[in-house]
Amino acid sequence: MDQNRKPMTREKFLAQMDEILGLRPGTLKGHEKLEDLKNWDSTALISLIVMAEDNNSVPIAPDQVVGCSTVADLLRLAQVDVSPS
Amino acid sequence: MGSEINTLHSGSLKALRLPSSAADLMRQRQSLKTELLKQANLIPTRIAILGGSTTAEVKGMLELFLLAQGIQPSFYESGYNRYSEDVLFGNPDLWNFKPDVVFIHTTWRNISQFPEVMESETAVEQDVQREMARFESLWEKIHLEMGALIIQNNFDLPHLRPLGNLEASESFSRVNFLQRLNAEFAKYARSHSRFLINDIHYLSAQVGLNAWYGRTYWYNFHMALSPTATVPLAQNVAAIVKSVYGKSKKCLVLDLDNTLWGGVIGDDGVQNLILGRDHPVGEAFLDFQRYVKDLQRRGVILAVCSKNEIENAKEGFSHPDSILKVEDFSAFKVNWNPKPESIREIASELNIGLDSLVFVDDNPAERALVADQLPEVAVPDVGADVSRFAEALEREHYFEVDKVVQDDLNRSAYYNANGQRSSYQSGFRDYDEFLASLEMTAEIASFSSVYLERITQLINKTNQFNLTTKRYTSAEVESISRDPGFITLYGRLADRFGDNGLVSVMIGRVADDTVELDLWLMSCRVLDREMEFAMFDALVEQCQARGIGKIVGVYIPSKKNKMVARHYAGLDFTRLNETSGDRQLWHYDVPQAYSMRTRFICRAAQTLPTTASD
Repeated sequence: MDQNRKPMTREKFLAQMDEILGLRPGTLKGHEKLEDLKNWDSTALISLIVMAEDNNSVPIAPDQVVGCSTVADLLRLAQVDVSPS
Repeated sequence: MGSEINTLHSGSLKALRLPSSAADLMRQRQSLKTELLKQANLIPTRIAILGGSTTAEVKGMLELFLLAQGIQPSFYESGYNRYSEDVLFGNPDLWNFKPDVVFIHTTWRNISQFPEVMESETAVEQDVQREMARFESLWEKIHLEMGALIIQNNFDLPHLRPLGNLEASESFSRVNFLQRLNAEFAKYARSHSRFLINDIHYLSAQVGLNAWYGRTYWYNFHMALSPTATVPLAQNVAAIVKSVYGKSKKCLVLDLDNTLWGGVIGDDGVQNLILGRDHPVGEAFLDFQRYVKDLQRRGVILAVCSKNEIENAKEGFSHPDSILKVEDFSAFKVNWNPKPESIREIASELNIGLDSLVFVDDNPAERALVADQLPEVAVPDVGADVSRFAEALEREHYFEVDKVVQDDLNRSAYYNANGQRSSYQSGFRDYDEFLASLEMTAEIASFSSVYLERITQLINKTNQFNLTTKRYTSAEVESISRDPGFITLYGRLADRFGDNGLVSVMIGRVADDTVELDLWLMSCRVLDREMEFAMFDALVEQCQARGIGKIVGVYIPSKKNKMVARHYAGLDFTRLNETSGDRQLWHYDVPQAYSMRTRFICRAAQTLPTTASD
């Protein structure tokens, strides 16, 4: 991994994911099942990958997203920093 | 590429700007879409995307850019790499979708077979023709069976070069093969009116091949383009669709000082203006003038809006290096009035809507004022560096056209002649004397294939003298022109000052002994010339020839067509009580003995009761 890349904060990750999915700010908490999210599709996944790139964050490997079933799994995949921001 | 995107200029949404980066655009897509869908009067269109790769991302971006142009798409998407099978095997879902537009999103990855190394030139040419035939069979079937407009990608270049620099010279190279195919695609486009190229060969060069292609996205999602590249691609396709619907801008309104030349003409004098090759900034102004002149040559109307003394302003164009001359401008508003006021006058003088104007000024305060007070006018953020002005205009695709037709090229001449007509008019005792002196001649006839492009263009951009503001695609116009169930009329008008071109269109639906006028429009450039009387006379002739006894006029009020609210009353129609939604219906009995209403227009061609297919 590029040493300059830093994990996003949990708040920022969830806020941007809210936006990608067209949800009100603060909707996602982390425990949600991906299959229950209305706009979770390949387009949202690609947006998520681009989001990580744009934030110079830990890249999200598309082949590993297949194993994710909750938002929390995505947070782990992106090595999201859960320490207080 | 720093994907810098359109600015919206539509009414209450004027503050909403599409973001300037692909990442922001993708993140905000849902909320942007929600906002854009709030616009009034969106034009619906059906677009089938036939992909040689996955297209979900393309569809999402295209939807945003079309909505930003006031066009609301619904989509059909082929399965991955099913672009060919869907057409050739007649996928019923595609046929039932009845697309207005078919966008074939293929790239170099969809070439079925590249030439072998050391293959002879003759064999390479056969390969090119074989590949061309494969694509042509799709296009012909789409045209024949769906009648849809086709937007076809040409070919980008692969980012890897197995032959190194020999890719540029060897006939059997992939680069040569793709360039030959692009030339064949272009040739096809030149000879088929319902076929437009989406030039990804140019776009990929502009973006840069390394950014155009994204390994992660190809191997994981089979996206032929990176998300970054998808943005300019969608913007380009949206610009093509916009042009087909006649939503491109018509007029470029320019400031003078520090916009067309460096310096202030009133203070510095013409001899001290910064303009010409002997100065780096002067050369940039010269190049911008050349770009503006090129726009004018292809039909964009030019206007000046400057706070200056008029003598000084005109003197600026006498600079020996100035490419633009005073006579290149169809409107010249040079005064000390607020610029929004002058721009309103320009629109009024040219008889075009404010939404047809693009305003370029180096002064951000003037830009902000115009953007605030005239939200319909497009005001690109050109900055203060003249070397970027042309790029700012290009980026927004304001003046995209689907075809350059002769009427476009003559447009500046029409408006310049209008100025002559106005001054000429002041010398007459009354208006009738003026009209008689114009020696007007009209050609009015049923739709003819040679004019279908122009007719569709007028239908999709005329707002003011337009009784129903109904929009038709080229395919619909073509189909109506061949359908005996319709009466179609176009009108051209010429006068002593020149040819005004094709200025009026009428479509009537015939049922039994009645014709209902689905469409009647006229270009505002010939208002108050009694051209509408000439058109009505021709319609009555058609009715008499076909034994039609009743004409039903339809008026659908819109924000912009109030000028024709009493049009049918003026032609002695009777208002019917029955209405359907906003539709007002008017009735006219065709008399056996009809007195021509036209007093000053001589008809050059007899209206024949025929259709374009005859």
